[in-house]
Amino acid sequence: MSRDEAVERRDLARQVSARALGWLHRNRHLGSFPADTSAELADPDGVYKPLGESALAAGMARRAAGVLPDEENAARALLEFGWDQLRRGDLLYERQLRYPAMTDPLEVYAPFAAAGYRHGRLDGLLAHLTATGSYWAVEQLPNRRLAVANAARLTGLPVDGDWASLTEATWLGRRPEPWLLDWMTAYCMTHTVFHVTDWGRRPHALPDPVVEYLTHWLPVWMEVWAEISEWDLLAELVIVDACLPQPRCTADVWRRLASVQRADGLVPRDGKPVDSGERQAFTDHHHTTAVAVMAGALTLLRDSDAVPVD
Amino acid sequence: MPLSNAPVAAYAASVESLAECLHEALREPVPSDGVVAGHVRRAADTKAALAAVRVLGPDVFAPALLAGVLPGPLDREAVAEALRAFPVGPGEPVEAIVLAEAQAAVIARPERPDAGTRQHRTDARTLADADWVSFAQCLARMSPLALPGCESAVAELARRRSLDVSRGVVRAMLRRDYPTAARLARWSALVNGRGAAEALRLEPVVAHVVQCGSSSARMALDVAVLQRLSPARQEEG
Repeated sequence: MSRDEAVERRDLARQVSARALGWLHRNRHLGSFPADTSAELADPDGVYKPLGESALAAGMARRAAGVLPDEENAARALLEFGWDQLRRGDLLYERQLRYPAMTDPLEVYAPFAAAGYRHGRLDGLLAHLTATGSYWAVEQLPNRRLAVANAARLTGLPVDGDWASLTEATWLGRRPEPWLLDWMTAYCMTHTVFHVTDWGRRPHALPDPVVEYLTHWLPVWMEVWAEISEWDLLAELVIVDACLPQPRCTADVWRRLASVQRADGLVPRDGKPVDSGERQAFTDHHHTTAVAVMAGALTLLRDSDAVPVD
Repeated sequence: MPLSNAPVAAYAASVESLAECLHEALREPVPSDGVVAGHVRRAADTKAALAAVRVLGPDVFAPALLAGVLPGPLDREAVAEALRAFPVGPGEPVEAIVLAEAQAAVIARPERPDAGTRQHRTDARTLADADWVSFAQCLARMSPLALPGCESAVAELARRRSLDVSRGVVRAMLRRDYPTAARLARWSALVNGRGAAEALRLEPVVAHVVQCGSSSARMALDVAVLQRLSPARQEEG
C-alpha cells in the first residue's frame, strides 16, 4: 500500500466514523423505550438491542479517543442516554431476574460495564447465574456461545469452556470452502472474530490457520458484497479485518463506504432507497451506522499495525 | 477478428460444437483426420467453423498437448486457415492477440511451442501490477493458455500470483459464475502442479461446478482440462 493510500484510508475512516457517531447521537431519541416498557420486552430487537449496539459503538469511539478526540462528548452522551433508557441497569436486572436462562441482559450490559457503568445487584445476580451449569448449557449457535463468553469476559465474570474449543465449533473454526459462505453465515463468521478478539483488543487471539484463512479470503468477501451494495456486511467485514494481527483493508473499500454515507452521517444498510420517514430510517439503518462507527474507530486504533506502506 | 457483424448465434453454436469434439477427443483417441480439421470439414458454415477455431485459442490443441503428443498436420493446417480467415487486428483486445499468438506458436513449433512473444511479455508486465480482481478477470479470458506445453509469461505470472488466481475462483463461485470459475481453476490446477502454494482445494470446486453449472460444452471442456491438469493426474502422467 502506498503512503498516499494509507493516508486516504485513515482520513476516510475518521470521516465516516465521526459522521456516523454524530448521526447516532443526534437521533438517539428515536431509539427510546415506550413509557410503559417492562422487563418482558415484547420486541427485544426494537429498542433494546439497538441500545446495546449504540453503546458498543460509543465505547469503541471512546477507546479511539486519541484519534477521534472531537467525538468523545457524543460518545459519552450516547452511553449516558442508553444507560438512562435501561433505567441505570434496573431493566437489565429485572429481565435477568425474570429470565435466568437468557443471555441478552449480560450481552447488553457488557459494553456499558466495560465503559464503567455498573449495577451492583445485576453484578451479583450474574456472578451467581454464570456459576451454574445451566447458564452455559443453554442451547445456542457456536458463535453465540462466543458472544456470551466475551460478554462475561468484558464484565469480569469467569468463562466456562476454553476459547480454542469454542472457536473450533464455529463455521470459521473449521475453515470450510470460502466460496460457500452465504449472507447469514457471513454474519456468524464476523461475530466469531469480534468475540474471540474482543472487538480487536486481542488481535492475536485467533489461531494462526484462521488468521491465514481470513487473510486469503476476506478481500474476496469484501469485493462480492460491495458489488451488490451490502453495506452493512461490508462494514462488518472491515471490522473483521481490523481485528486481525495485520489489517489490510484498502482505501478503495473506505471510498465505497464514504460514497454511500449520507451527509447527515447515516450509512444505508444496502442499495435500496432510504425511507424518507426519520423513524423508519432509524429502524432500518441504525445497525449499519453503528457498525460504521466501529469500523472506522477500529481502523484508526489498529492503523499502526496495518500492512506497511511501500 | 471482425466478429461485430457476424451471425453471432451461428458462431456460438459452432464454438459449442467444436468444444464438444475436443472434449470427446480428451476421452478417446484423436481421430486420424484430426479434431479441428474434422470440425471444419463437416461444418455447413465454414466461416463459423473457422471462427470457432479462433475463439477457442490454444484449446484446439488441448487433446494433443495434454497427451504429450504433437498436434497432427491436418489440425495445424486447419488452425492456420482459421488464422488467415480471421487475422488479429491492431484494435483487438489484448487477450485475443495473446491467444492468436499462442495458436500461431503451436503451429510454427509444435514440438516446443513458445507463446512468449514480445507482445506476451509486455502484457505480463502490465498484468503484474493489476489488482487481483482485474488480474483474475484477464486470466479467465486467457484460460486456453493454461495448458502444458503452452509456455508463456502469463503462466509464470499466474504461478507467482497463485493466491490471486484462487481469489478469482472464489469470487466467481460466490457469484455463481461457473464458467469463469472453471477457467480460473484451470490456472490454479496448472500452477499447483508447478509448485505454487495451494490455498484452495480444487476438488470440491470442480464437483460443485459439475453439479450446479450449465450444460455448456465449453465449460465441460474447461472442467475436463482442469481435471487433467490437477497435480495428482500430472504425477500419474
